[in-house]
Amino acid sequence: MANSWRDARFRRGETQLQMTPMIDVVFLLLIFFVCTASFQAIEYVLPSEVVVSGVGDTTSVELPPDLEQLVIDVAPRESAIPWQVNDRPCRTPGELRGVLEALVSVAADLPVILDCQPATPLGDAIDTYDLCRSLGFARVQFAAEAK
Amino acid sequence: MTPMIDVVFLLIIFFLVSSHLAKQETQLEMELPTASTHEPARDDAVTRIVLNLLADGRMLVGASETDPATLESRLKVAKQESREPVEVRVRADRTVPFALLEPALVACAKAGVWNVTFATYERRE
Repeated sequence: MANSWRDARFRRGETQLQMTPMIDVVFLLLIFFVCTASFQAIEYVLPSEVVVSGVGDTTSVELPPDLEQLVIDVAPRESAIPWQVNDRPCRTPGELRGVLEALVSVAADLPVILDCQPATPLGDAIDTYDLCRSLGFARVQFAAEAK
Repeated sequence: MTPMIDVVFLLIIFFLVSSHLAKQETQLEMELPTASTHEPARDDAVTRIVLNLLADGRMLVGASETDPATLESRLKVAKQESREPVEVRVRADRTVPFALLEPALVACAKAGVWNVTFATYERRE
């Protein structure tokens, strides 16, 4: 009773939990983790080879004869024949996969050349490139022609 | 101690955020193609030139707009000056027609740079 006139904080023997510094630190930690978390999608890398014709003697690559290569003509997905595998038309992704699976079981080391039409979106070209690699073709190349 | 911890934490956050933003400035946001046979992006000992192909058809190296002829000469210079092999990383929007990419590939070939990689996102089935 003797100390009843004192402020509650200064009464001997009584402890009080100070919440404010803890909230400060918790908020700071929260901000720290929010800021350091990366919201950007992780980018990966797809290695590629390029076959360029008409560049010059030093950089042009001789294409192998017809029977020793697989040329996939890639057109935009909306077109009537989006893919042609050595002039054989493939109208659906499933059909293309079937043809390539049959080929890869015979000769996985066959070089595959993707001849993309000018209007073909890069996404479609990469999809075909990715399909060839996932099926097990060892060598997949993009064809480009110097104008 | 609490005010000091507050200030130290604030300084750490400031430097982390500012370095994070500086990194993002060099990387344009775009809809990259997706792939499942990708490899992780490594910081190998190569001289890497990042070529950004935007959906509107612009070709950027760094922050400056370029064209295939300029790209070719730039690659030739990079190849001459660098002791490490030169790599061109193509960051292209998935809607970009191949007609825009083809001159860039030809420029790489003309400059003698055959190490061309494509930046992709992971394919989620």
